Amino acid sequence: MEQEEAMKDDEEGGSPCIPNLNPNPCPICLGLLSQDSYLDQCFHTFCYKCIVRWTQVVSSRSSSLRQSSSVKCPLCKTENFSIIYGYDGITFQQHFINQNNGNSTFFSKDHKYRLQCYYTEPESGLLSDAFKVERYWKLHKYLQPNSWLEKWLKRELQALLQEEDVEIIMHHILGVIHSFSRSYHLKGKTHPLHRTQEEFKVLVADAAMPFLTARTKRFVDEVELFLASGLTVEAFDKAYRRCLGWKKSEETSEDNERTSTECEPIAPCLYFIDDDSDEVDWTEDKLA
Amino acid sequence: MQASRARLFKEYKEVQREKTADPDITLVCDDTNIFKWTALIKGPSETPYDGGVFQLAFAVPEQYPLQPPQVRFLTKIFHPNVHFKTGEICLDILKNAWSPAWTLQSVCRAIIALMAHPEPDSPLNCDSGNLLRSGDVRGFNSMAKMYTRLAAMPKKG
Repeated sequence: MEQEEAMKDDEEGGSPCIPNLNPNPCPICLGLLSQDSYLDQCFHTFCYKCIVRWTQVVSSRSSSLRQSSSVKCPLCKTENFSIIYGYDGITFQQHFINQNNGNSTFFSKDHKYRLQCYYTEPESGLLSDAFKVERYWKLHKYLQPNSWLEKWLKRELQALLQEEDVEIIMHHILGVIHSFSRSYHLKGKTHPLHRTQEEFKVLVADAAMPFLTARTKRFVDEVELFLASGLTVEAFDKAYRRCLGWKKSEETSEDNERTSTECEPIAPCLYFIDDDSDEVDWTEDKLA
Repeated sequence: MQASRARLFKEYKEVQREKTADPDITLVCDDTNIFKWTALIKGPSETPYDGGVFQLAFAVPEQYPLQPPQVRFLTKIFHPNVHFKTGEICLDILKNAWSPAWTLQSVCRAIIALMAHPEPDSPLNCDSGNLLRSGDVRGFNSMAKMYTRLAAMPKKG
């Protein structure tokens, strides 16, 4: 097949009036670009298949236990962390190096689901109403410790940073939240409500900003949601999914009916489709 | 297999089209096997290889261009990074630093650059490497020149 194409290409290229039909070939196959893909740092272009195959060769060659999460551009040697493909003018897909071919052990389905949450923009107020954020501040629930926060934070940071070891950042943010509630114990409940909430958000944002940059604001909102929910990690996930209309297959049809009238399902604007099995699971989740 | 064949075919086309582009390199594909190539390269000027023509043999693996081609000198050459008996070449881009963006043509260019700039610290030819490392550039040059005259130049008369 490919050879036939090459032959055909040759006939065209060989004609004297059109000396070079293909001024911008894929540097790997030297053929016409198919499914243009860009490396995320240097933006050199390759066929999707070609560059994915090359990253697989590179990672199979490395003998270290922890595989590198970057690949050097074949053209300029710049370290790149993902392949951007399927760009249609508005959306694109992203293939992270060594995060998608079953090599990473820590990045579970739950991590993927949380990352997907960050790519959806639910109606404003939908989630904060569902998790009763206002009540959380009104009843001064923030003064009580949340024993699931550590576990939840760890997973959240792992999902966002696509990095297994987030221990230091997690303890940093956890410390900020703890010292916040301790200082409000002393101040008492006289402090104006919205000021308390605002101060909390600024503190957490300052702590997270160096690591999460553009995602900080959403992250702070999610921290607030989780704390306000007062739920365990699993229960929070379940409630969150239901709220967005992403249903788990085990839920009953009665549940479905009730929630579908309450809130419209929101489709994520960007998927991280990496391998087929996960893609199938994901659609199952949505359709069930 | 198919991918490497298609890519080599493209390189073949390019070589035919650009025949005059680089007068120092002549790349020829085997008549019956697209995975076997030979190249003739001119020794770079201002080096002891000047005036010589060196023959290279390419064996291209089926995984090409994800794997580098195997290249060796068929012509005897006195150079720290070329094995004196087998012609094996010690060059990073033919091993760890390989990138699929290299072509057979650009590999030839890299080998010409290696001829002009030997790396005596990773020698395959220790005698040659030791001469350079001990600072005996004159000794190295005269040995290299002698072998160029003996092996890489047409016999006179």
